[in-house]
Amino acid sequence: MIPLSNFLVLSALLFAIGFYGVLARRSAILILMSVELMLAAVAINFIAFATYRDPKAFTGLVFALFVIAVAAAEVGLALGIVLRLYREHRTGYVDEANSLKW
Amino acid sequence: MLARLPLPAQLDRTIMTGSLVAGLVAGPILLILLALLAMGRISGVQLVFYAAAAVILFGAIGAVTISNVVHAAMCLIATLLGVAGIYLLLLTEFIALVQVLVYGGGVIILVLFGLMLTNAAADPVVTDGSQKPFAFGIGALLAGTFVAAMLSAQWGLTAPVLVPFRIFGERIFRDFSVPVIVVAILLDIAFTGAFVNARRPEASETTEAAK
Repeated sequence: MIPLSNFLVLSALLFAIGFYGVLARRSAILILMSVELMLAAVAINFIAFATYRDPKAFTGLVFALFVIAVAAAEVGLALGIVLRLYREHRTGYVDEANSLKW
Repeated sequence: MLARLPLPAQLDRTIMTGSLVAGLVAGPILLILLALLAMGRISGVQLVFYAAAAVILFGAIGAVTISNVVHAAMCLIATLLGVAGIYLLLLTEFIALVQVLVYGGGVIILVLFGLMLTNAAADPVVTDGSQKPFAFGIGALLAGTFVAAMLSAQWGLTAPVLVPFRIFGERIFRDFSVPVIVVAILLDIAFTGAFVNARRPEASETTEAAK
């Protein structure tokens, strides 16, 4: 049996790597990919606690399912925004999209 | 021999380099793990866990450091499939299947379309100083804090229990029906918003905006 702390350490490392990506990348889509990594780390944490701490209560599993659904919605919406930004201003880099109104 | 295959030159180079790098990284890890298994130091389940963890961590590092965006997206696929393997180890098959379908299928396709419809060929040339050392420092601090906290805590443990599909579905749609409806509405709103943002403006709208 694998101890719970293994899963927690794995998800912590994955979260930190995703956080590095969010800070270090400048292209909006690459930042989005890093956010996906962070969300996957959070979902691992939810499911690990749910299965190890209280297998009868489904809250953690359902929460992880909703995290996945919300992440899919977020990706769709964010890519729509990035496409519009690119079409109207010819840039996909968050550094250059630094004003709220053109 | 490779020249005769009907592949674009760029594609076969990419495939060869990618599989070479992946094999060079994965091969030694797998060998070490198999040796540990043969010596009886780790069990089969632990071998699967460490292999999946290696796939996840190396894929994640590739996804945030490789400058070619398509290669980074491929690393992201490896990471997300590894996460599905971790879900299988945690005995939640349904969420593993959802992970493969939604992330491995839908999200990756969306991201690749986004990369190809914009000019995100690489990270832009930086003129105002690199932010990578700062980001690395913050990431290392975060990882150190989390790992230290999680290793020092004591969790009361119960063994994981397999949740059958049938019971999972019953619980979701009976006890969590309101959140399911809320998520359905959220998805509806999000994709309507994505459509409104991503469609091409019609000719009448652009002329009105020009006035």
